Amino acid sequence: MGFSSGRLAILLICAIGFVHSSRAATVTYDFNVTWVTSNPDGAFERPTIGINNQWPVPRISADIGDNVVVHVTNQLGNQSTSLHFHGLFMNGSTHMDGPAQVSQCGIPPGSSFTYNFTINQPGTYWYHSHTGGQYPDGLRGPLVVHDPESPFLGRYDEELVLTVSDWYHDQMADMLPTFINKGNPTGAEPVPQAALFNDTQNLKVAVEPGKTYLFRMINIGAFAGQYVWFEGHNMTIVEVDGVYHQPAEAEMIYISAAQRCSFMVTTKNETTANYAFVASMDTTLFDTIPEGLNYNVTGWLVYDDAKTLPEPTLVDELDPFDDMTLVPNDNQTLLGEPDKIIELDVIMDNLDDGANYAFFNNITYKAPKVPTLYTALSAGELATDPTVYGDFTHSFVLEKGEIVQIIVNNLDSGRHPFHLHGHHFQALYRSVEEGGTFEDAKLTEADYPAIPMRRDTLVLYPDGNIVLRFRADNPGVWLFHCHIEWHVSSGLIATMVEAPLDLQNTISIPSDHLEACAAQNIATVGNAAANTANFLDLSGENRAPNRLPDGFTTRGKVALAFSCLSGILGVAIVASYGLAPDPGSHPHMEHRIAEAQVVDPPTASPAAVSEPKEAPLVTTGSGGGSSRS
Amino acid sequence: MVASADQVFSVPVFLVVFRETLETVIIVSVLLAFLKQTLDGPNRDVKVYKTLVKQVWFGVGLGFLICLVVAGGLIGAFYTVGRDAWDTNEYYYEGAFAVFASLIISVVGVALLRVGKMQEKWRVKLAKALEAPLKTTSRRSGWLKHFGEKYSMFILPFITVLREGIEAIVFIAGVSFSAPATAVPLAVVVGLIVGSLAGYALYRGGTTAKLQYFLIVSTCLLYLVAAGLFSRAVWYFEAQQWNNIVGSDAAELGDGPGSYDIGKSVWHVNCCNPENGGGGGWGIFNAILGWTNSATYGSVISYNLYWITMALSFAVMRYREMKGHWPLLKAKQGTASTVDHHSGSSEDTAVTSSGTKRQVSEMTTIA
Repeated sequence: MGFSSGRLAILLICAIGFVHSSRAATVTYDFNVTWVTSNPDGAFERPTIGINNQWPVPRISADIGDNVVVHVTNQLGNQSTSLHFHGLFMNGSTHMDGPAQVSQCGIPPGSSFTYNFTINQPGTYWYHSHTGGQYPDGLRGPLVVHDPESPFLGRYDEELVLTVSDWYHDQMADMLPTFINKGNPTGAEPVPQAALFNDTQNLKVAVEPGKTYLFRMINIGAFAGQYVWFEGHNMTIVEVDGVYHQPAEAEMIYISAAQRCSFMVTTKNETTANYAFVASMDTTLFDTIPEGLNYNVTGWLVYDDAKTLPEPTLVDELDPFDDMTLVPNDNQTLLGEPDKIIELDVIMDNLDDGANYAFFNNITYKAPKVPTLYTALSAGELATDPTVYGDFTHSFVLEKGEIVQIIVNNLDSGRHPFHLHGHHFQALYRSVEEGGTFEDAKLTEADYPAIPMRRDTLVLYPDGNIVLRFRADNPGVWLFHCHIEWHVSSGLIATMVEAPLDLQNTISIPSDHLEACAAQNIATVGNAAANTANFLDLSGENRAPNRLPDGFTTRGKVALAFSCLSGILGVAIVASYGLAPDPGSHPHMEHRIAEAQVVDPPTASPAAVSEPKEAPLVTTGSGGGSSRS
Repeated sequence: MVASADQVFSVPVFLVVFRETLETVIIVSVLLAFLKQTLDGPNRDVKVYKTLVKQVWFGVGLGFLICLVVAGGLIGAFYTVGRDAWDTNEYYYEGAFAVFASLIISVVGVALLRVGKMQEKWRVKLAKALEAPLKTTSRRSGWLKHFGEKYSMFILPFITVLREGIEAIVFIAGVSFSAPATAVPLAVVVGLIVGSLAGYALYRGGTTAKLQYFLIVSTCLLYLVAAGLFSRAVWYFEAQQWNNIVGSDAAELGDGPGSYDIGKSVWHVNCCNPENGGGGGWGIFNAILGWTNSATYGSVISYNLYWITMALSFAVMRYREMKGHWPLLKAKQGTASTVDHHSGSSEDTAVTSSGTKRQVSEMTTIA
């Protein structure tokens, strides 16, 4: 099983590089989204979301400047869907970005929907469903943009796409209700059952000696970051998240969910052995490590198919390359001081349904009734007022061209890979683990690198902080969120509404997009509450559950008062009973004592001194008497 | 190396030991005070007195010994089978203990109150009767009951010490998994001493006050404890179910969200948790009044239900005292005139010396 799927994967890898066409071509894909059955880890067959009845799903390939058209038909029957093209700027086409209820309505079963956009950026990306926590069910694949003017052309002989992923045996639709549930008060994320390379295990990558390969690695997983290393080979990192960086040597990299990393690997000049490469899931993210979980997945650089495939050796420590040390190849300098600063605290907390939610500051995301983009397009001048986007979308309105700084303080003890749609950001600062908040760091402009690294997804360490900066030069509605799909579902999302008035002049929504909404009775005009009369009236908007009360509620006070009252009354009754004389008690007693003492009537002793009235007892009261003597 | 206070004295251990000791000494000192006043006063009967006091202490001693053995076994099981065996069902055990203790205290309470109502000379007789040789054969009704009466001065402290002792030792064992073992001994000793001092104070109060009032006051205290125990039992059962749902020990979540089932919660305050780390003063509040920082519908209703039941029971018993028969039942001929009947039957006893025909009256509830 592992072998045949391994071969398939090799074929897929070798199939790269066919879609080289002339400049500014149109690349068209017809995607019928369907349920298929798959078993990539050889342990469990499960329904999986495929495309055109196939899984793994096809790769999207294009050249810089190409117009890409993706016709999506939802044939799932039971779930709506949408596609997000992760990392693409979607400049001028924010309505093609993909998140349901943000830039479109989800595509309902039976409907078709066309994504049409132009790509003006090189590098390694991916596409995935951005609806209802769906993509871990299989709807995620690579998207590669080739660049005829890449600075690294000629430095490698061949390129290979290598995805890494976690894998669940259960479907998201089944896991999410128990994840966001009062029975999971700590918000423990389900732990994956396996890790995958190119959606299989024991992947064999045929290589030739003395060549240099460019690996385009993508973590298309839902949750787990992955440590990746090649035995006997170094990696030379040249691109992360679609941004060329000056080559940097690494023995091990850490690649979080949604991150990409292109690195060159030069093969040995001999074919005497094959070499393992390993991806190891970051188990610090897992609440528990289930017994028997193999959190590693292995592949091999196969120099000689006849030779053995060695078991990977254990590593002593996980010490990956620090991506903050990268320097962009274009030497773009630090953006100037920010015009707008957005500071977000990451908090996990429980609401009054008992379930655990994720918060930016005090807001956990709830999708609005009208997709946020449609609100921006229909709100007129009020589109610049964040109020219209609702209390639970956590919207920030950015002015065109301003420099925005996002500070994220992690008040949680987990790692979170934060992703911004529509932009690369400059990563100015990342504290160490337990580094505290931005305020604790006491940073000045001088502390930031002159040429900061750029990417679109950056890992924030536990109880630390990150500082990101970007120029708001791309009008649109862009989410900023943790790319752990569990945390997307539990609300760790903010919305950047960038230059909404520009959008009103430039964007017109295609009819198939509006039809997707109509098919589900989703309003396409109005504020977050679908209110069109008064955009500032949010009554009826989708809301998160209420906060937990801090102390006693009325219910508790009444219950406590009643309990106190019944306690006091009860004690009073007990006391009054104890005080009330019982006329019958003595004769009862007499009877009982007599009963107890009938044991030994003949030895009646005169020693029991009692009043004559109790003669009957005395006559039988030998017990008392004898005990005296 | 500076030994910090934490390594020498574990506050949670102290509080738990103190709390369990307190619960025990309330029972023991009430019994001892009762005996002291009854048999060591003007109606001295030193032999009976000493025998019964011995019974009490024997109960305490044997209870302590057995709880050492049982708890030792449990701790052994911790290390061999692993904590899980106990942990996964801990609250079921605790709940069962609590129900049992609540029932015992409820029955004992009635007996104490009725004793309090007696004139002193009758109390002496009763106490002496308790010590009388055990009737061995020939009575159908209740050898066991009779045994229970005769050795009540043993059984009560025995069961109480057993219950509280096991609870305390299991807790200490649990703590010493995480805390340094060096912190345990001093805390245990101090907890025992302070608890015993409280008990001694109670005993002294009990021996100098008028016995009836002392018994009433201490019985009221016991009923408060019993009501709390009953409510706690329900709480324990619910908490165990919640733990089963959460899949880990919800108590490890502390006071906060997730440590309780919000669907069943009546109130929850993120403090004052009597279960956590010994519970501090709240643990003692919990032991005596049944306080919880996280009340459920079950625990609130059961607390109130307990008092309603007790109030009704006392009303019924009072009715019988006044009317000579149970409500809703016809007055039986035999019990119509209590005084006559009983003096008569006592004579019967003398004559027949077997007593097989006699009904055992409800006074057998006198423990």
